[in-house]
Amino acid sequence: MTIMADTGAHPLRADGLHLSFGNVQVLTDVSIFLEPGRITGLIGPNGAGKTSLFNCLTGLYRPKRGRISFGDIQLEDLPPNRRANLGISRSFQHMALSADLSVLENVMVGLTLSRTTGWVGAFLPLPASRTESVAANRKAMSALASLGIASAAMMTPAELPPGTLRLVEIARAMVCEPRALLLDEPAAGLNAVETRDLMRALQRLIHPGLVVVVVEHDMDLIMQLCDQIYVLSAGRVIAYGSPQEVRRDPEVIRIYLGDPDD
Amino acid sequence: MSDMAQATKRLRLARGGLLDLRNLGAAALLCLLLALPFVVGGFLLYTLTLCFANALGALSVSLLVRYSGEVSIGHSFFVALGAYAVAIMEKQFGLSLLLSLPVAVLLGIAGGIIFAYPSRRLSGIYLAVSTMALALALPEILVHSEKVTGGFEGLYVTLVPLPSVAKELQRYYIALAILVVACLALAQLRGSRQGLALLMARAHPSAAEAFGITRGWARVSVFAISAALASVGGAVMAFASSTVSPNSFTLWSSIFLLVGSVVSLNRLTLPAGIIGGAFLTLVPNYLASAGDWVPILYGAALVAVTLCVNCASDIRLLLARRERP
Ligand SMILES: Nc1ncnc2c1ncn2[C@@H]1O[C@H](COP(=O)(O)OP(=O)(O)OP(=O)(O)O)[C@@H](O)[C@H]1O
Ligand SMILES: [Mg+2]
Repeated sequence: MTIMADTGAHPLRADGLHLSFGNVQVLTDVSIFLEPGRITGLIGPNGAGKTSLFNCLTGLYRPKRGRISFGDIQLEDLPPNRRANLGISRSFQHMALSADLSVLENVMVGLTLSRTTGWVGAFLPLPASRTESVAANRKAMSALASLGIASAAMMTPAELPPGTLRLVEIARAMVCEPRALLLDEPAAGLNAVETRDLMRALQRLIHPGLVVVVVEHDMDLIMQLCDQIYVLSAGRVIAYGSPQEVRRDPEVIRIYLGDPDD
Repeated sequence: MSDMAQATKRLRLARGGLLDLRNLGAAALLCLLLALPFVVGGFLLYTLTLCFANALGALSVSLLVRYSGEVSIGHSFFVALGAYAVAIMEKQFGLSLLLSLPVAVLLGIAGGIIFAYPSRRLSGIYLAVSTMALALALPEILVHSEKVTGGFEGLYVTLVPLPSVAKELQRYYIALAILVVACLALAQLRGSRQGLALLMARAHPSAAEAFGITRGWARVSVFAISAALASVGGAVMAFASSTVSPNSFTLWSSIFLLVGSVVSLNRLTLPAGIIGGAFLTLVPNYLASAGDWVPILYGAALVAVTLCVNCASDIRLLLARRERP
């Protein structure tokens, strides 16, 4: 809980990550520096390794080599739950909601680590556990409201279109007031209004102590939203800079932006 | 913001306790069960008391299925823990159910943890087979530790907590009270931090880890709760039937617990528990009168259950897909 407790700003950084599955080299010497208080974009063609990089940062994948740190804490050897405890939160490209839970409850899962009710409170209606659950309810509700989907709170995921579920996924990632927020294709499947709401919500959310990384294929969104952009291709960082710099980078144009279908 | 206020209102309505139709159904059933002893007596009351005990057993398996997606064919082991706890506490210390019940709960929790921790990385059929080992080992253990357990003969349970009240009535109402409290506790669990965490771990284990919910914790917790519930069921069973003996805790009893859970659709409500319990109380007796056919019927039941459990999620998925345009 060290980082959760203090309010300082901590950069999230990776140095020289190598990741492979069998013979498939997924990440090669990837180094990134994610500054707090800024929104970083991570772009690249399909299969570039963006999700894999997220998985390395959150501990779902173990890189073969390289170092990852958050502030002055080394993360390589910490399991995912310990990293979550440090305030690193994420959304999933392939939505990971539980069909048994309502939308509101799915979002409340994001608060698991900040809640302290013990096992007795899980079975008995103690006043303390009630208070905590009401507070969690309210927090989850306002996270949904900030993304414009409060009216879906009581529905189950099966009743909702993919765009709304995507926002639920994001609400769950940001409800715990994280120190680092990693969003994997948050705008995939959203319509224009939802995308605008999402962008506003992220701009409201950002504060000097928060690292935000967004993987996205929606170029307009990335260019408007981000302060800095990393471009990943075939597992390597091929460009880095402000949106304007990245837009002008010849290699980026060739590999990514220059795609005839873009 | 009015959006949010509206949603909050709907939330309050949905949680509106007494107004909920399902709660009304359960309350009506409870009233009926509370009034029943004034109308009927004797054998039916005894059978219902057994049904309450079995309901706890069925609920314990349903809890495992609901919260972890795993099946057990060894839950009679945990049922036996509670049943023998009651019998042995009475024989050794002269204590009645209300004092031995907490011991049964603790034993169940301990048993669940001790089994689940080493097997936390197993799942599906591998886990089911290892639970089967529990059920197979149990009668041997009971018979071998004859001094404590009474061997083949088993033990008697004759003490009741309230000496001045008719035994039959006491057994009925105490069993019912324990079942109702268990159902309320399960309803509380569903909305709790732990309940949500367990359901998320079931749906997406690796996503759950990203929110601090580890697989090992989830598995051990679910098993501990389920085993404690089974143990309470065993304690009530010993109290209701006034005897315990190894032949009530065979592999077949475990399989029947699983069947009873499936029959009640793995639901964790009072009515579902009663349905599962009624099945467990009545069907084995009817089957017993089928003589030579018993093993075949049991086998068929087992195959049917295994297929159902395996297909249930597919069917649900199919239905969900059909509902979507
Ligand atoms: N668990 C895994 N096992 C084997 N290969 C994997 C695994 N995870 C990722 N890969 C491979 O790593 C490469 C990068 O995948 P990744 O999902 O990180 O790409 P991405 O940039 O997120 O792509 P997209 O834009 O399609 O989401 C792909 O070739 C993929 O097949
Ligand atoms: Mg991806």
